Amino acid sequence: MARESTRSKLAGRLTHPISRPLAIAYRWVDERMGITDLAYKGLYEAVPRRGAWAYTLGSATLIIIALQIVTGMFLLWSYVPSTTEAWESLNYLAHHDEFGAIVRGMHLWGAYVLLLVIGLHMVRTFVSGSYKKPRELNWITGVMLFLLVLALGITGAMLPWDQAAYWTTVVTTHVLSYVPGLGHWLQEIWRGGNQVGPVTLTRTFAIHIWLLPALLVPLIVVHLYLLRRHGEHGSWVNYRNDPGESERERAERVLRAEPPYPAVPSDPGYAVPDDLDEFFPSQVGKDAIISFLLVLVIFVMAVVVGSPLEAPANPASLTYVPTPEWFFLPLDQLLVQFPQAWMIPVGVFVIPGLASTLLILVPFLDRSPDREPWKRPQLMVPALFTLLFLIFEALLAVNRLFNL
Amino acid sequence: MPLTLALAPHLVPVGISTGVATALVGLLMLAHIQFAAFQQGGALVMTLFDFLGMVRKDERQTRFARGMVKTMAVVFSIGAALAIFAMMILFTGLWSHFWVKLLRIMFWPLVIEAGAFALEIMALYTLYVGWDRLGRVRPLRIGLGLVLAVDLFVQMLAINFVASYMLTPRPAFNLPLILLNPTLIPLEVHRLIGNVAFTGALIAIVAGWRVLRARTPQQRSYADWMGAIGAVIAIAFTALQPLVGWEYAKEIQLHAYASWYDMMLGGLSVAFLFQMFLLGLILTAGIFFFWRRVRSSGIRSPTLALCAVLSMGAWLLGATPSSLAWSYEQVFAANANVPIWNGGLLIPFGAMIPWKLTALVAFTFVSITAVTVFLREVSRGHLRWGEARRSQALALITMGVAVSLIMALMGYIREDARGPFLITNHMLINQQQNFVPPATTGPAQGGAATGANLILGGE
Repeated sequence: MARESTRSKLAGRLTHPISRPLAIAYRWVDERMGITDLAYKGLYEAVPRRGAWAYTLGSATLIIIALQIVTGMFLLWSYVPSTTEAWESLNYLAHHDEFGAIVRGMHLWGAYVLLLVIGLHMVRTFVSGSYKKPRELNWITGVMLFLLVLALGITGAMLPWDQAAYWTTVVTTHVLSYVPGLGHWLQEIWRGGNQVGPVTLTRTFAIHIWLLPALLVPLIVVHLYLLRRHGEHGSWVNYRNDPGESERERAERVLRAEPPYPAVPSDPGYAVPDDLDEFFPSQVGKDAIISFLLVLVIFVMAVVVGSPLEAPANPASLTYVPTPEWFFLPLDQLLVQFPQAWMIPVGVFVIPGLASTLLILVPFLDRSPDREPWKRPQLMVPALFTLLFLIFEALLAVNRLFNL
Repeated sequence: MPLTLALAPHLVPVGISTGVATALVGLLMLAHIQFAAFQQGGALVMTLFDFLGMVRKDERQTRFARGMVKTMAVVFSIGAALAIFAMMILFTGLWSHFWVKLLRIMFWPLVIEAGAFALEIMALYTLYVGWDRLGRVRPLRIGLGLVLAVDLFVQMLAINFVASYMLTPRPAFNLPLILLNPTLIPLEVHRLIGNVAFTGALIAIVAGWRVLRARTPQQRSYADWMGAIGAVIAIAFTALQPLVGWEYAKEIQLHAYASWYDMMLGGLSVAFLFQMFLLGLILTAGIFFFWRRVRSSGIRSPTLALCAVLSMGAWLLGATPSSLAWSYEQVFAANANVPIWNGGLLIPFGAMIPWKLTALVAFTFVSITAVTVFLREVSRGHLRWGEARRSQALALITMGVAVSLIMALMGYIREDARGPFLITNHMLINQQQNFVPPATTGPAQGGAATGANLILGGE
């Protein structure tokens, strides 16, 4: 009943635009496209009240991806993907365009913040066990999105064609050569020959603005569809024990939780989460606050720190020391530790490949119904070790690079 | 006499022999380090368990946190007294020239150290005295515990600025370079992990002792639970050490090659080998405890049994000497750089690469697996606390003592590897007056030490 009333209110608001001709036009479109129904479905979904702030990370990710697309479009108006003009075009953008430096800064810092937010979003999902049945595909698409964003980050770093970009391109395309069997073939395809050159930049540009986004956008759509289909109730904090219910019984009840939630406890499918709220305005408000703050951080960093542009690429340079992007520091540090050259493929191919595969397979590795982190040590302990390892490796890499 | 020397540093070397002075400072500082290590690990463990006690409404965890604070307050008094004695008497007296120079270079880190020390006193004693009263606002008590843990982290960082600088110094009078020298972060991470593992080991020793001495089922149950906590902390954190230690050694190799050579191939290589032995002992004893403790509650765990066997194999591999001589230098001197079955002195199975490296990697993976399996059994409620047996208590004590020994040994190796220098390449132990602040020193330039260059090879 309450829902019907909300729906009427929404329909009323949407069908009363400022002027009568507009209202008539809206009704005409609405009858054919069902906009009111769509808006209702989008805005009035049951969401959990507990843990609502933690759930804002997903929408923040979406907003920052949108920001990346918008700032990327603006950059495209000035950037020239050619080895002779890429650096010049960005230099012009930085020094002669009214807002060029800020837009490029926002694109760079947007990428950095995006990686952090996706990382936190994944940690939240992992710790709360929200990847469990029926949300396995939410997790898998999420991991694939994370890997795509990493790929966007590294290909984006190659585009300015300054010293850092050139050597990043040399290293990244060289990494491909370690893929067993296909390595040199893949490397040649990306580079457009044996050496890094004009074709490499053109192809990297195409990968960055077409290939990866073409994979990213459909995956986002699938991810959002799955989110709506299964609801945001994956975490144990959204469920409390019913009187006389054991923790195991509750865990099994959580497994069955899937919208629409049967409201009668006698129903065999009963698994109503505790403390429900409407998506609009409660969750939308929280999402907006967090997203706004993150965009503000990105803007401030773009204005204060900006985006560096080193000297133009010089393949003949003998003194330039290439350093990786910060999100590849742990891997770089790991490689330095390998005592012998023949082990390098293990570092650049086997370990990252194995780690990505394990990450994707998380829902299938943890089949228990338990969601509390302390009841899932089989996954939490190795994950904690991995996280500590990555943090330590990044710290050690910073120290090493500082002392070069 | 010491005061006179402090006022007149040019009079060094001191009235007693350098060897005696070194031994005095060494013994005192090794003792102090153990007390300080427990403080840092203790603050983290105490705060964690106070938090868990609140979240999970578990009185046992709160009691444990309370016990930690009490112990820390007592230990702090002794450790602080040792530090003050070392600083006031031994450093200013026996090593005055060095101390004056070090104060000039490291003035700000030592000011931070003193400030953090003062904050430690306030936070620790407030927790100790006001534990129950603070308990009325539990988040406040946990917050204060966190302040103490962060403060102790800063304190260790400040002292690691000094210790790492002495091993791998950078140009003097350039404070950022001096502070962020090549071995700072590896040392900080290595010690942080080691301190937490050490705290876990001490908890395990006390728990093992209590299991043996328990008179009531309640006492036995609590001691059993505490032993499991200690073993998990000790093994989980020690499992990270092979990797971090390897990276620390790599930085020493790049930036203080003579010290690295001494540790790995020279006179200290025997001490390093003993360290490998102790590492194997710690992990094997800990994993044995997990395996048998689970068995005492009637659970057969083939995974834990396999972990114990693998750990013993890795222990054997890791502790095998690489030659029948005291050091590699002697092998070369004897012109016996061939395997023993060819009439030489080398034992190929004791080589660092691939065998000791394999053992280290195995230690890490086997330990993580064992901790995970043990915690899974605990989380499923399969363990009944109070069923620990004598052999398991002895395993806990053995593991704890070995961790304590390895802490002291590591300190000894780190400090002795600099010999004959007090500050590598800049100040000799017995010629302190020769100290000249270096203008431009530091590691060789170039990109050899980047992953990118390794990937590129000759490109």
